[in-house]
Order: sequence, then structure tokens, then C-alpha cells
Amino acid sequence: MIESITGAATIFAQLGVIFADVITGSEPDFFQLRSAMRGDGVWLWGLIMTLAGGLLVAWVYRVAPWVDRNLESTLMVVTYLLIGAIIFIEVIRRFVFSEQFPWSTTIPGYLFLIMTWTGCSYNVRLRTHLSFSEFRSKMGRLPQMVLLSLDAALWWGICLLVIVTSMGVVANAGNNFMIVTGTNNVMVWWFLITLPVAFVLLSGRVFQNLFEDIRKYRSGDEPMIEQAVLGGQ
Amino acid sequence: MDISTAVTLISIGVTVLFMLGVPVFLVIAYWVLGTSMALGQPLVNIGTALSDVFTDGFALLAMPLFILTGDLINRAGIARRLSDFAYACLGWLRGGLAMAAIGASGLFAAISGSNSATTATIGSMLHPEMVKGGYDPRFSAATAAAGGTVGIIIPPSIIFIVYGFIMNLSINDLFIAGIVPGAMMVLAMIITAFIVSTINGWGYLIKLDPVRVLKTALGGWLGFFAIGLVLWGIYTGKFSPTEAAGVTVGFCVIVGFICLPIYNAMKVDEERDINERGFGEMLVVRGFGPTELPSITMRSAQITGILAPLIAISVVMQQNLSSLGAKEVIENFLISMGGYYPVLFTAMAIVFVAGMVLESLPVTIILAPILAPIAASVGVDPIQFAVVFLVGASIGFITPPYGLNLYVASGVTGVPYFRLLRYSTMYLVSLIIVWFMVALFPSISKTLLPGGGIYETLQSIFGGGAPV
Repeated sequence: MIESITGAATIFAQLGVIFADVITGSEPDFFQLRSAMRGDGVWLWGLIMTLAGGLLVAWVYRVAPWVDRNLESTLMVVTYLLIGAIIFIEVIRRFVFSEQFPWSTTIPGYLFLIMTWTGCSYNVRLRTHLSFSEFRSKMGRLPQMVLLSLDAALWWGICLLVIVTSMGVVANAGNNFMIVTGTNNVMVWWFLITLPVAFVLLSGRVFQNLFEDIRKYRSGDEPMIEQAVLGGQ
Repeated sequence: MDISTAVTLISIGVTVLFMLGVPVFLVIAYWVLGTSMALGQPLVNIGTALSDVFTDGFALLAMPLFILTGDLINRAGIARRLSDFAYACLGWLRGGLAMAAIGASGLFAAISGSNSATTATIGSMLHPEMVKGGYDPRFSAATAAAGGTVGIIIPPSIIFIVYGFIMNLSINDLFIAGIVPGAMMVLAMIITAFIVSTINGWGYLIKLDPVRVLKTALGGWLGFFAIGLVLWGIYTGKFSPTEAAGVTVGFCVIVGFICLPIYNAMKVDEERDINERGFGEMLVVRGFGPTELPSITMRSAQITGILAPLIAISVVMQQNLSSLGAKEVIENFLISMGGYYPVLFTAMAIVFVAGMVLESLPVTIILAPILAPIAASVGVDPIQFAVVFLVGASIGFITPPYGLNLYVASGVTGVPYFRLLRYSTMYLVSLIIVWFMVALFPSISKTLLPGGGIYETLQSIFGGGAPV
């Protein structure tokens, strides 16, 4: 237990060092983080990030509704339009000027990564992830509340798994100085880190949904499950 | 506990979760987690796969772009014009509006690549008119759901992109192979709509008016141009599918921006009857302004945010199935069935059953790498098998209990899910007949490909290199 706590504290400390390096413009060193991510405390660290990080995100959404409404959607729209613009412009450049930036086939993939996982988080809030909800929708309020809580627990489990495993990938990419193909100095980890961050945001959405479900359950009159509309907001 | 017992228990557990309404993404993710632990595989593979799927392949980028294309042509008013054209051509027959909905689905599918976008667009546009025209709302909603199935068979198609991506087949060849089967699906559903509407006496008839047909055809010119652009790019090999998607998005955005001020200046009234509108009015669509672009994009991003995570987690599921030796088990089973047709039909049965409980993307990612090599080993052409497989996967969109199009149609029309089933089953039967025809006659898929006959004729007309 002590080793886990020490390990988790080391990971937080190393992330702080990397953050400080980024802010000050120094080259971040991922070696210590990578070593710490292979140690005992990684799952405890992931649990803290999932639950405390998620609660923090939910709190931010509560006190800053603008962030609640616009954070994920802005990221999704900007990355989506960038993907379309890069590919369209580069096809035109190839046809008209016979030239094309070498990164035009790699950067869009990383933007797609950001769009996908922030979109995944956004859909958690809207409860639009595909599911077979015919039986659930016909149950009583208590079983529905139990199942909605089960959903929340399952999402947190996946958040924990993805935050821990994808942060390991980030540490490896940073430690190996991996650069996006076709560029000279765009680091891969800049993009990959959005995956664990997106799952912290997702955990925040799960908290929001659970608080809302508890409120609805206690109110006794609001329907617990409403039909989600694909493409709706 | 041995691995097979553990995997059986995990599979039963996640099936229970599925039936309890847990999101499909979580159902697959927990199966992946459980089997990874049972196999003793490092969990970091999951984190790696969830990013590598998107960063390692340019081809998959066509998926979000073709989804966006669908929303752009819908908001620009191009989809409305295509449905007007379909109605002008088919409205003189009993059930004309239902047939027009299916025809419009086929035209919409030729620009967009998404089944749910096709269902949602056509359903929200034509369902109110069909109900007003005396059609049973259940039939109208079922028509939108069934029409959406061609969204992923008529190129461009998201699922062909995913299939080509994971099976290392030419996506352009797959697109071309899907054209004739997609057209046959449309025709079969049109015939079904005609029969059902005639028996029930639904719909009112409009006169077949050549001027109206000509006007609506002119009104749909931007849509036809976009279809031509995609098909030309793909057929001549000028664009990769992702580039074709990017070009179509760019085209739709430019058209939307240019048309809006012209449309406003001309004061076009879409509510007026087409016969009362001038040819000039028909040439311009509503379009959209730059400020509308984020909301259009957001709608597509939301759908991508549902489908893309499913693709990523399904890739890991497929890897685990390989590690578990699922391929060998199914291979032994299929080989024991006999030769070409027994293997092909059993593979179709597996796809059909999987399509009843899973979304088509996981079905494709999980089953294609297992079934396609086995089919190839008994002599089924890889492109032919891909089309057979994907027509089956598309039928899965209207097979209960888990039929995505049925959910989408229910969502946009307000008709309860289970009430759709009576009429969607009629369309299902017609699609299954087409499916067997595609399986029995490989020339249906291959007629537009090199060696198929028509390919050479088209090459001499359009020129360009062979599709790549």
C-alpha cells in the first residue's frame, strides 16, 4: 500500500515537472515518468485521476456553464473542420501546383484521435452511445436507477483502464522523442495526451449524469430514461 | 479456471449487460478487458490500440468526412431537391412517396456514406408528408429505416472504408463493386413499397409531368454534380476515398456559402409548388452561412463520436479473438460444411445472426478477418465476399433486436421501435432476396470492375487510370 501511494505521488510529481517544463519552454524529460508508470502506484494514480479528476471536471462544469456547453464541442468542431480543410486544400494544391505538405496525411489522423475521444465524452453526457434499451426503459424507477448507477461504475472502470494504459503510451512516446511523420518538431505525445485527458473529461460527464439521475430519482416524477436522439443536442 | 471457461463466463456476462441496456461500447470494452486478463495479455495494448487505430491509417479519415458530407447536403437543401426529383419521377405510381423516399435514400447515399444520416435525413424530411398523404406512420418510419440500409452499400460508404482498411483491399474497388448491388437493393425496396401501398391503397397520385421531372432534375443538379465528382474521382483513381471525401466536403461548403446570398436575393419560396417556380429558382439551393457551419459540423461530430470509439474497441476485440483461436474454430466448422456454397451461406448466416445483436461496424471488424480468409480458401473472390458480407451487415441495420436504423427512424418519426417491425420485416424479406442474388451471381458485384465488361466501356468514355 505504501509503495502504491509513493508510486502515485511520484507520477503526480513527474507530471508536474513535465508541465513546468512545457510552461517554461524547456525540453520535458519523460524518463522518470515512464519508470514511475511501470511501478506499483500507477493504478492508484489512475483511480485518483478518474474519480478526483472527474469530480473536479464536474465541479468546473457546474461553476462555469460556458465550459460545460462549449469545451468538448469546440474541440470537436475545430478538429473536424481542420481535418476537412487540410485534406481539401492539399488535394487542390496537388492538382493545381503539384505539391503537397508531407504532414497532410499524418496530422489529420491525430486530429481525428482528439475528435473521437472528446466526442465519446460528449455523447456520454447526451446519453447517445448506442445501446439496446428496450427492456430497461420498461422497468420501474428503482431498477432503472440501479442500472444507471451500474453504467456509471462501468464507465469509471473503463476510464481507469484507458487513463492508465494510454498515459503509459504517452510516456513512451515522450521518452522516445517520437515526432509526427512529415514534420520536424511536432511531438507525438502532444496529441496522444488528449486520450487520457478525454477520459478524465468523460469521468466528469459520468459524475454529472449520476448526480442528475439521483436528483430525478428523488424527485419521483421526472422520467428516469428519455429517448436519446442521434444527432440531437 | 481454464481460458475457455473464463471466456464463456465473460461472454455470458457481457451479453447480460447488453440486454440490460449498457452501451455497446462498454459491453465490448469489458469483454476485451476480461479476455485480455484471461489471456494474460498486457493491458497497455488497449491504450495503444485506442490511439493507433486513428493515427496509423489515412483511409479511416474518409469516415468522418462522408458523415459530414451528409449533413452539409442536408442543410444546404440539396437533399430536399434530390427527394423532389425522386418524387417527380415516381409520384405517378401508387405508393409514389414511399418509393420516392427510397429513391431519395439511394441518391443521398451516393453523396453521404452513412446509413443513420440517410435514415435521419429522409425520415425527418418525408415522414410528415407520407403521413399527410395517408400512409400508415409505421410503414412510413419503416420505409425510412429500410431506405437507410443502402447508405452503406452505394458508394461512398463508411463500412466499405472500414472493411478495406482492415482487410487491406482497394477501397475504390469495393466502392465500385457496391454500385450495382446497392441499386438492386433500392429497386427491391421500391417494388416492396409499391406492392404494400397498392394493397393498402395508400398515397395519392400525381401526374407524370415531364416539365416537373426536368425542373426537379435541374433543381438537383448540385447533388448530381457531387455524385458525379465522387464517382469520377473514385472510378478514375484521381482521388483516394479520403481525398474524395475531403473534396466533397469542400465542394458542399463552397456551394453552401455561394448559394445562400443568391437564394436570399432571389427570394426563393420552397413552399410554392414546383410547377409554379421558374427554372432559375430551381437552380439555386438554400445553402448556409459560415455561422451555421459549426452547428452542422457538431451534428456530424456527435455521430462520429459514437461510431469511431466503437471501431477502436472492436479492433482490440478482434485481436483478442485471434489470440483465442476463434478463427481456427470457425474455420474448422466452416470447412466441415463442405465447399463453396455451404461455406458462403454459413458465413452469411453468421453475419446475419451477428447483425441482429451488434452494430455493423463491430460485426465487420470482428468477423471479416475471420470469415474472409476462409471464404477465399474455398475460392470466393475477396471483393465478391466483401460485398456479400457488407450487404448482410447492412441488412443488420433493420434486424431486431438491435437494428440501428430502426432506432434512428423511431427517434426521428416518434413511432415506437417495436411498432416499426411489422413493415420493416417486409423490406427485410426483399433485401434478403437481393442478398442471395448477390451471393449466387458474382457478376453482380464485379460487372463494373476490370474484366467485368462495363468497366472497359466506361474507361473508354471517362479515361483515366485503373482504380487503385
